[in-house]
Amino acid sequence: MAQDIVIVGVNHRSAPVEIRERLALADGQLDDAHRRLLALGPIKEAVLLCTCNRVEVVAYADDASAALDGIASFLGEGQNIPRDRIEQHLYRYQGRAAVQHLFRVAASLDSMVVGEPQILGQLKEFYARAAALGAVQTVLHRCFHKSFSTAKRIRTETGIASKAVSVSSAAVELARNIFDRLEDKSAMLIGAGEMSELAARHLLSAGVGTLIVTNRTFDRAVELAREFGGTPVPFEHFPRYLHLADVVIGSTAAPQHVLTPALIHEALRERKQRGMFLIDLSVPRSFDPAINDIDNVYLYDIDDLGDISEDNLAERQREAGKAELIVEAEVTGFWEWLTRLDAKPTIVALRERVEDIRRREVEKTVSALKDLTPRQREAIDALTSAIINKILHAPVTHLKRPDADSEMFYIDAARRLFDLGDPENKDEK
Amino acid sequence: MELLLLVLALVLYLAATVGFVTHLLSGRDLIRRLALAALAGAFVVDALAITARSIVSGALAVTSFHDQLSLFACLIVGMYLWMQRRYPLTVLGSLISPLAFLFVLSAYVFYTGNREFPRDMHNLWLPAHIAPAFLGYAIFAVASCVSLIYLLQDQQLKTKRRSDLRRRLPSLETLDELNYRFVTWGFTLFTIGIITGSVLARERWGAFWSWEPVQLCSLITWLLYAVLLHTRLVGWRGRRAATLTIIGFALLIVSFLSVNLLFVGRHSALG
Repeated sequence: MAQDIVIVGVNHRSAPVEIRERLALADGQLDDAHRRLLALGPIKEAVLLCTCNRVEVVAYADDASAALDGIASFLGEGQNIPRDRIEQHLYRYQGRAAVQHLFRVAASLDSMVVGEPQILGQLKEFYARAAALGAVQTVLHRCFHKSFSTAKRIRTETGIASKAVSVSSAAVELARNIFDRLEDKSAMLIGAGEMSELAARHLLSAGVGTLIVTNRTFDRAVELAREFGGTPVPFEHFPRYLHLADVVIGSTAAPQHVLTPALIHEALRERKQRGMFLIDLSVPRSFDPAINDIDNVYLYDIDDLGDISEDNLAERQREAGKAELIVEAEVTGFWEWLTRLDAKPTIVALRERVEDIRRREVEKTVSALKDLTPRQREAIDALTSAIINKILHAPVTHLKRPDADSEMFYIDAARRLFDLGDPENKDEK
Repeated sequence: MELLLLVLALVLYLAATVGFVTHLLSGRDLIRRLALAALAGAFVVDALAITARSIVSGALAVTSFHDQLSLFACLIVGMYLWMQRRYPLTVLGSLISPLAFLFVLSAYVFYTGNREFPRDMHNLWLPAHIAPAFLGYAIFAVASCVSLIYLLQDQQLKTKRRSDLRRRLPSLETLDELNYRFVTWGFTLFTIGIITGSVLARERWGAFWSWEPVQLCSLITWLLYAVLLHTRLVGWRGRRAATLTIIGFALLIVSFLSVNLLFVGRHSALG
């Protein structure tokens, strides 16, 4: 019972963006973070996920409760946030619930916008990253691959991703509340990213006339501009063009704010206070939240857009219901596999224990009966072996082929009845 | 007879108000149509009431306070119904209808009966003064309603409240452009009203300008709207423009009410 899959983390529902952006790990910190996780002791395998909407650790551990605690501390420590500040925002899953959570995440059932397709790709990337570091072995390997195939199955068998209800369409909806026509409006894309590109694409197809693209890597800006039919501008000069933009979409990995109130004030002066709509899709946020206090400027971050798109999701709920059933079935399949895996050491321990008793008792008897012929000795050996094999046959069969509910109970019972040791309490004793 | 028409107009304005607000909350199209019909009916009845009073007095009924209030309501609603063809802003109806209701209610409360048009008031400059001034007032009234909706939508977008209201309100750009258009027209008419008014003053009282309360209030309002239109060229639009429009209209109302309720100055009695 002690070995288990655990998940500790925060997502867009459990924690506000202020917390998420502080917990978020930069790309360069990931490798070290995996190493530190594995060094925690109870953790045998670990995968770190870090997207705009979630930071979580999926781990397979020897000692589940120690691992849950260790990961919770780990999340805050690395980013210098006191544990008690994040504690209320953390969720913890163990065992079957953890597997279910992972499968739901992969299937985009736990996403801010249910059914959005990006999460699966992100999940695969983070998994590959952990695997390359050797942080993944049998259990998580199988668990993640099952989650990927489940997500694919849900995508093909349900209509969960068929409607374009997304953060991007929420952005378009808001643009229409601010502007009367989009045809004579320009958008500026600062930084590249899947979400922001999607938002730009949505705005363009909603009619936005022109697009300016800027990126720290100018080549990338040129590439994107070509793709969207926009104009690339060098990143260091983008403030000069800011006043041309009616809509600004931000998605940068910059540690400090790329857009400040001062920049916006200047742009507004040049554009004679004509309204601006700013969309910040990055976490940590790249537009200073104080910008929203400026007259005629409307700043929406990823959470705000999420709130709106959530309202548009009623129709998807039915499809999500079907998806949950698929998840349930797949989780059950995986869980059976995992627990069978878990039964093996128990069966081995059980056999060893009984064999140990048998050998000792046989030796005692043989040494007491001094004048036994080798054949007689062999007969005693064979007899006792046959007896324990016959006795063990039924319990071992049950341990190997459990029915879903009682299976953990059997393993636990076997360990207790035969005093096979309880690894869960090892550390505490 | 005139009073009965006034009551009927009141009932219809109230019905329109209820209808528009219900539509705003529920979004049902049938209610919108009913509200518009009620408002159009109220407009017709109000216009009939004015006509009836005018026939009795022998000239356009504008001399009493209740006449002015009722005419004002009629003009605002007419303006709204007219613009409804080009800009179907149903939301605006939920501000216009209660405003008209309030004016007509005041007209009913302050009803002083019909009186004959004062003989010595007959002057060509009088209609030339009253018509643009009242039309200007009415346009400013509609502009302030548009501005109020602007501020409401602005607040919805700023606070990011999760409501259906934001979806039902027109876009900020539309509201801002409408505000600009109305204020420009209102300002033009208002200016004409002031000019013809001062000519009229010269004819009747011997001076273009006499520091009379209505003149002073009008001048302040005129300056305020002049500033509003001018700064727009520099870039005061959106929130500030909306706020200024409302302040300007509030000033007009204050001058209109104080003159008529406190009976100060020459405008109140009109002779």
